[in-house]
This record gives sequence, C-alpha cells and structure tokens, in this order.
Amino acid sequence: MPAAALLELIDIRKSFGAIEALRGVTLSVFPGEVVALLGDNGAGKSTLVKIVAGEQRQSSGRVVYDGIERHFTSPGDAKAVGIETVYQDLSLCTNLDVVANFFMGRELTRRVLGLPVLRDREMEAETARALAAGGTQIPSLRTKVEHLSGGQRQAIELNRFVHWGGKLVILDEPFAALGVEQTRRGLETVDRVRARGIGVILITHVMAQAFAVADRIVVMRQGAIAGDLRTGETSPDEVVHLITGGIERIGAAPRNEQVQPEKGAST
Amino acid sequence: MTPQTPSPAAGPAPTPGRARHRPVLGFVLDNLVWLILLIALTAFGLFIPKFLQIGIFLNILEQSTFVGVIAVGLSLTLIAGEMDLSVESVMALAAMLVALTFGTGGAGGGLELDPAWLAFPVSLAMALGVGAAVGALNGLLVVRFEINAFIVTLASYIWGRGLVVALSGGRSVYGLPDALRGVAVQRLLGVPLLAWVLIAVYLVFSFLLAKTPFGRHLFMIGGNAVASNRAGIRVARNVILAFLLSGMLAGLAGWLLASRTAGATANLGIGMLFQAFAAVVIGGVSLRGGVGRLSGVFAGVLLLSSIQTAINVMGMPPHYTMMIQGLLVLAAVLLDTAKNNLRRSYF
Repeated sequence: MPAAALLELIDIRKSFGAIEALRGVTLSVFPGEVVALLGDNGAGKSTLVKIVAGEQRQSSGRVVYDGIERHFTSPGDAKAVGIETVYQDLSLCTNLDVVANFFMGRELTRRVLGLPVLRDREMEAETARALAAGGTQIPSLRTKVEHLSGGQRQAIELNRFVHWGGKLVILDEPFAALGVEQTRRGLETVDRVRARGIGVILITHVMAQAFAVADRIVVMRQGAIAGDLRTGETSPDEVVHLITGGIERIGAAPRNEQVQPEKGAST
Repeated sequence: MTPQTPSPAAGPAPTPGRARHRPVLGFVLDNLVWLILLIALTAFGLFIPKFLQIGIFLNILEQSTFVGVIAVGLSLTLIAGEMDLSVESVMALAAMLVALTFGTGGAGGGLELDPAWLAFPVSLAMALGVGAAVGALNGLLVVRFEINAFIVTLASYIWGRGLVVALSGGRSVYGLPDALRGVAVQRLLGVPLLAWVLIAVYLVFSFLLAKTPFGRHLFMIGGNAVASNRAGIRVARNVILAFLLSGMLAGLAGWLLASRTAGATANLGIGMLFQAFAAVVIGGVSLRGGVGRLSGVFAGVLLLSSIQTAINVMGMPPHYTMMIQGLLVLAAVLLDTAKNNLRRSYF
C-alpha cells in the first residue's frame, strides 16, 4: 500500500436523535485506490459519504484528509480541497453544450471595454484536451448534454472533476440508470480516474460492479464496518454474508431487509 | 427533455444520410420563426395590394419597438427560470412619470429645464430608475423571500397599473417638450430612430446572453439552479440582476412610448404584456427556463407586428389580430414540441 492515506476516517459516529446511524467507523482511502462501499439500505453508507463530502457533520470522530484534520461545514469546503460527490446528472446543465458544462462557473474570459467576454475557442480546445486525457470520446463538444448518453454525461463530470484538481471522488450508485454497455464504459472511466491517482469511493448495490473495479471492498452493516477486504482475497458469497449479517441467503435480494436500530450494535 | 428519455446513443446509430442533413436541419429548426416570418410576409405581399412597400416594413419595425423591448426583459427572466409579468405596468409607470413631470397639457407638471435639452437625459434617467427600482424589488422578493416569480410579478403588474391610474388621477397627459419627442420622430438613414433603438437593444442583449459569463450563467441557472450553485455561480445575484435589467428595459420602453404618444394615458400599453409573452413563446424561449435566443424573439415580435399591420391594411376589424395572435401562441407551443421530437430522432 502507498505510504500516506488520502482520507482517514477515525471512529466516526453520527446520531440523529436517539438513532445512531454510525457507530464508530474507521476507514481509509489511498490515492489511486477504488474502494467499493457496500451494505444494505440504512447501513450508514450515505451518512458516511455525506460527512466526507461536507454535507453533514459527524457527532464525534475525526476526518483526516491529505494529512490534515478537516472540519468541513459545507460541500463547498470539501470541494475546495478536492473532494466531491459526483451525482448522475445533478451537476450538469443539460440545456447547454459540453464546453459550457466543463467550464461551469470557471469560464475563461477576456476584458473588452471592461466587460468580461467569454473565450469560447480556448475553452473548447481545453475541454477537448482534458477529455482526450481522460480517454473520453464525444463526437462534438458543441452538442447539448441532453443529447448525450448517461455514460457520456458521467464521463464529462468525472473528467471535469479531475481537470479542476479533484483528488477524492464519491460516486453514489453511478450506474443505476445505465445499460450494460454504458455501465462497462463507466467502469472503464473509473479505472482511468484511478490510474491518474484519484481516490474513489464507489457506493453500489451490484456485487459484480464492486468486484469488477474495486481494489478494496468495505461492507457496512448497522452503522459499522462489517468487513474491509481486498477484492482479490474475498468472494461475492463472503460479501453477501457480511452484508446480511451471517445468514446465508444467496439468491435472495438482501436489500429488502430493514435495519432495526433497537437491536444490539455490532461494533 | 425529461431525464427518462431514452438517450440517443442507446438507440440505433443515425444513418449517414441523416448525418449529412443534420447541419441544415439544425439550422432550419433553430431559425424556424424567421422562415415563418418570411412566408407570412411573402403571403401578405402576394395577396394584399400595396403591402409590399418600404414604408410598411419600416412601420412594422417601428410598431414592434415597445413590445420588442419589454420582450427582451421577459426573455431574460424566463431564461433564468423565472418570469417577469410586471414589464407592461412598469413601462406604463415610467411613461406616466415622465409625462407627468414634463407634460405641458392635462395633468402634466410642465417642468422646464435650462438648457431645454436636459429634459432628455433627466427623463431617461427617471424612466430607467423607476424600472430598476421595481425590477430590484421583484428580484429581491423572488430570491430573498423565495416567493414564486409568477406571484411577485403579477402583484407588481397589478399595483404598477394601479399606481399609474392613481398618479394621473385618471386624466391623460399631453404635450411633451421637443427634447423628448426627438427619438420618436427623427430618422437616421431613412429608418425611424425607434427602430434603431429596437435593433440596438437586441444586438446588445444578444451579445450579453451569448458572449458574457452573465448570459451563460443565466442559461445555467434556468437549466439547473442546483448544479449552478454547486459550481459556485452566484445564483441569487444573477437572478436579481436579470429582474433589474428587465425592469430597466421596461422603463426604457415606457420612455420611448411616452415620447411616441407625446404624453401618457392611464391605460397606456394595456395588452402589451400578452403580446410580448406571445412573441417570446413564438420566438422559442422555453417557459421551463434555460432555452431561448433573442434572434427568435425578434422574429416573433416582427411576426406579430406584421400580422397586425396586414389586418390594418386589409381594413379588417382589429379584434381579428387578437384571435390570430392567440392561435399563433398555441401553434408555437405545438411547433416547439414537434421540433423537440424531430431533434430527438435526428441528433
């Protein structure tokens, strides 16, 4: 493993009133590593990544990023240091073209009579370079994003994230709405992002996706880490065991089980 | 444009023949209103005697000025995902204030400045100022108090008109000094000054929308305000600015209207909001925000004005204009849907 972790979560706890959503989570993510976060609905995955992305604050515990303890108060704080959640579609303006989206809020301008004027040609060239570097092919950068496929949109978002200095990206069910071929390409994009030294936290329900792309598989159960395994040293069966809490139920959909916080904690 | 729409890449690849026609088709779809305007003018020229005259075309252009200018403000706010229904009343309010201050007859105050030409900049500043004030108020209410723009600007539309009636006491004002009449009666290169102002407003704001960060951000906010905010765009500031500009444009329209009518009446410009709305929709600005180009709006304004002029020239009763305009709005919305379907299958 590389020497320094990109992100270290140390004994993170989070309570919503009487309900303990996180019961002491310790987890690290290294640069250029894809960590798949699995777990049942309500296991605490979303709460955990929201804390990482600055959308919520932990009740106790420490978030150390890039070697420094962080106290994010907003998603903007996290974004400023290179942590971002990439949601499908939510961060794009589909009514505009690829270039406009790539430079959203960071447009290149020149002053003409004191008025800022967009430098469209330069922005298009830079977008083309960035997408090429990320191995993404889009026929025309002047195409409106609404005419692009879900996979292409994701690729734009990921490339944009990398281009503007992102270091840790959280992908929350990124392939939920994609077809087989698009999912395959999406996994390839994740692969390329990893190759550029970015840390990736991938939340997914699909075992095959986790095994296809992740270096490590982290299973959460009832607000705690139930397993932190290298992908090569585990099997889907074992992961299902960890998700459901030891009861062998291969073939049944584990996601239907509800978490009951009153039951004993598994810390 | 729903996210559930099957993405084009998932469907069969477009055939090469389609790909070859794409740029042409795209251009035609983008400029469909201009094509319709051309067809309408040709038809009028063929079937209405004496329609094909430079004078009539200049008249159409001149007639379009007031609706045309407030349609720009309406477009700005619609593109940002809001709307400004107050433009008509703000226009009337600005016209009435100018007329009340400088008018020599009726309820006019008959203010005389020395030198006389000072009335020109002072009255313009008044009109723009009152427009900016109402626009800023609209914007602040929408952004800070998160009240729906429809409600906020409907209220302004109503109280604005009420204020016009109250200020004038129901009386009309007439007789504006020459310094104020110039813009309405002068010509430049044979074209009325009003038409030049209209063209200038469209050029300036088309540039603003297409080539500046402010314009681009308005489209982004109208397309996806949440994403814009996440990307660090100052959504509130831009939306307020859009309302402010819309108000100032309405103020400018009012100033031009006062100059044109050489005064003001309490019901000045009534019905222009709906004409502006019709022009904007015909011009292809989406009511859902984030879509629209001022060149289309300009064509929409000219189309409505041409139809009005044609009906006048034919000597038909003017209420036919309203019926045709109403049908045109419906046709425009249907056309928009058809255009989107066509795009979806071709792009």
